Amino acid sequence: MSQVTSGYYAPASLRDAISLKKRLRERALIVAGGTAAVQLISKMIAEPEVIISLEKVPLDYVKVQGNVVEIGATTPISRLLEKKDLPNALREAAENIHGLALKDMATVGGNIFTPAPAGDIATALLSLDATLMLRGTRGVRAVPFSKFYRGPLEYNIKADEVLTAIRIRRAPGLSSFLKQTPLRYSGPTIASASVGLDLDKDKKARRVMVAIGGLTTHPYRVKRVERFLTGKRLTSELIEEAAKQLVDDNVDVIEDALASSWYRRVIAQVLFKKILNNFIR
Amino acid sequence: MRIKFKLDGEVVEVDAKHTDTLLKILKDKLGVGAVHFGCGEGTCGACIVLVNGRPRYSCLTLAGYVDGKEVTTVAGLAHDGELSEIQKAFLENDAAQCGYCTPGMILIAKALLDRNPSPSDEEIFDALAGNLCRCTGYVPIINAIKSLSKKR
Repeated sequence: MSQVTSGYYAPASLRDAISLKKRLRERALIVAGGTAAVQLISKMIAEPEVIISLEKVPLDYVKVQGNVVEIGATTPISRLLEKKDLPNALREAAENIHGLALKDMATVGGNIFTPAPAGDIATALLSLDATLMLRGTRGVRAVPFSKFYRGPLEYNIKADEVLTAIRIRRAPGLSSFLKQTPLRYSGPTIASASVGLDLDKDKKARRVMVAIGGLTTHPYRVKRVERFLTGKRLTSELIEEAAKQLVDDNVDVIEDALASSWYRRVIAQVLFKKILNNFIR
Repeated sequence: MRIKFKLDGEVVEVDAKHTDTLLKILKDKLGVGAVHFGCGEGTCGACIVLVNGRPRYSCLTLAGYVDGKEVTTVAGLAHDGELSEIQKAFLENDAAQCGYCTPGMILIAKALLDRNPSPSDEEIFDALAGNLCRCTGYVPIINAIKSLSKKR
């Protein structure tokens, strides 16, 4: 691979993929499933000199070992669903990505990089306190997913790094993902919410992870609401109170032809309340 | 770059740019009529083909991806002038009107039935979510798939 100039590369190993990425940096576009990356090309947003396709890199796997779930970055949604013992929020997010071709093509890792209205899987993974495994020429870096997004399309990833896997350690006992789309079986996500929750013996919230998707370019954790709920016994009044502070006034919520930012805020709250009320029912 | 793959059972070789989509190669270079260009962004499903038996939007698949693989279009389902079971079921159930979505619909139906020989209504709706039809209202298409599911 010494004379890389332009073309289509499908390295067979992770090592080759990383050394290509290190050499080519911004000149190359990494393609996993293609559902988002290929659109960048066909809509003339990107003009990569080189394509690095991850199709042959063996990152298509789901491993469950003890209390750790590890998902390879190029695992398609349909493969994810073959696994029976996934955390509930992740399963719900995956099941509600509709269409057989999309389920077969779209990958878990790709979903993390793709801006709204994509990002259902990412939203679920945030609420499961997942960790991203980034491998570069100098080794592996484990980055908490909650510290991965730095801004719209800006990620905590170095030029020579490739996302190889997503790890969920000690998945919360309760977790759930809900989204609103214009049609029952298809259409972009207008808003989504995902919550991971551990209760202690007295039914008080011991660990709470709240993630909101669809409102901004990338999903995010709502630490303020997590702190508000931690240590408290969940009641419908408390849930109502928490929902009021769910979307901060400072958040610049997407407004487009599909939904106003006001509507997205309201829907996020409705979904959040639904999830928590289902937990305590 | 030069790519070589099996198209409906026949080996083809074609020049492609690294940024060319499979759809572009099939239509512009190979003159395939059994694949349609609709939205170009993976919403309508008119361009769906099977690659090694699994459904893919050819508009979102780079040509390089199919090098050394097998691509099946709806035309590849018929043999010696005889339509396949699925194609007959679409015909019998009036599941095609203008026909633009039909290649993608039939291939998704095949991919679904190959994996799940007796899908529930819910599973059929889920599988077809990425294929738009503006004529039939979907009911005849769903009936065609269900007629096969009963036969098995």
